[in-house]
Amino acid sequence: MKVNVLKKTENELKIEVEGAGHTICNLLQKKLLEDENVELAGYDIPHPLTPVPVIYVRTKGKLKPEEALLKALGKAREINEEFGKALQKALKK
Amino acid sequence: MLERDEKNLRLLIRGADAPFINALRRNVIAEVPCMAIDDVVIIENSSVFHDEIIAHRLGLIPLKTDLDGYNLPEECSCKSEFGCNLCRVILTLDREAKEGAITVYSGDLTSENPNIVPVSDKIPIVKLAKGQKLRLEAYARLGKGKNHAKWQPVSLCSYKYLPRININGESCDACEKCVEICPRKVLAKREGKIEVRNLLACTLCRDCVDVCPKQPPAIEVDWEKNAFIFSVESTGVLPPERIVMEAVKILNKDLEELAKQIEV
Ligand SMILES: [Zn+2]
Repeated sequence: MKVNVLKKTENELKIEVEGAGHTICNLLQKKLLEDENVELAGYDIPHPLTPVPVIYVRTKGKLKPEEALLKALGKAREINEEFGKALQKALKK
Repeated sequence: MLERDEKNLRLLIRGADAPFINALRRNVIAEVPCMAIDDVVIIENSSVFHDEIIAHRLGLIPLKTDLDGYNLPEECSCKSEFGCNLCRVILTLDREAKEGAITVYSGDLTSENPNIVPVSDKIPIVKLAKGQKLRLEAYARLGKGKNHAKWQPVSLCSYKYLPRININGESCDACEKCVEICPRKVLAKREGKIEVRNLLACTLCRDCVDVCPKQPPAIEVDWEKNAFIFSVESTGVLPPERIVMEAVKILNKDLEELAKQIEV
C-alpha cells in the first residue's frame, strides 16, 4: 500500500491510496462519518481499472484530518478484533 | 453461530455495521488465498479437447489447501518463475483408453503432497475414446480470488439483515393469506393465530404485508439495523471458519498498513 497526498490544509486532506479498494475505503468512510469532528468524508475510485481510490476528509477544525483518519482506522481495527475474538469464542462452543 | 458443518457456516452477528460486514465479505471472496492449478505442461494429448480447454478445466478443480505450509508465489523467498517446494505443488495425470472409452476424473490426478488433492474425486475432466491418451504435469499455486475465480475459497458468501416480523394480534383475523404467499414458508397458523415459524428464512420481500387485507396491515416486516446473518459456503478447499478468520486477519493487516502509511 502506498499513500500519496494530493491536498493538505489545516482541516482538509485528500489522499490517494494505491492498493486499497472499496473494502477498506467504505469501512473507513463510515467510521469517519461517525466522528462528530468530521464535517465531510468520502472516497472515490476515479477509474475502475486502476485500483487507486481517493479519500477526502474535511474536519470542523478542532481535529486535524490525519488524526481523524487514524482514529477511524483505530476504530475499524477494534471492531475487527472484537469480531475475531467473538468468532473464536463462538466456534469453541 | 447458527449453523456449522464441514462446508457451511452461518453466523448471527450483532453489534456490527454494514460496511464492516461488507469488508469481511469482500475479503472472504477476493483476498483469502487458496490453491488452484495455474500452469499445465501437456506432455501428450490426443483427446478431442484442445490443450487450453483441459488446462482451464484443471484450473477450476478446487484443491484442498494448506495455508500454513505454502507461500503465495509473489511472497515466496525463491523469487522463481517456476516456484519451489514452498510455493507450488506438482500434480501429474497419466491416462490412456486402452480398451474402450473412459472418463478422466479429478481423482486421476496424483499429487506430490497427499494433503493437496482435489476436494472431490468425481469431477470429470475429459472423455477419451479408445487409443486416446492424456499425459500432463500441472502446477498448483496459491492465489487470490481477485485475480481469478478459481482462487476463490467460497462458492457463496453473503449477508442479510436480521428480519423482524410483528403480527398485530388484535387486528389479525388469521385469514392465512400471508401464510400462503410467503415464498420461504416463514409463517404458519397455529391455534387460530398466525405465528412466525422460521424467521431466519425471511428475505424481507414483504409480500405478506402487501397481501394482508387489513388497513393498515396487521403484519409488519422490518429489520434490525445492527444485526446480520452472515453465510459462508466453502468450496471445500478450507474449513469455512478458517476462511472467515483469515479474512479478519487480512483486514487487520490492511488497516494497520494504511495507518502506518498515514503516520509518516
Ligand atoms: Zn517459492
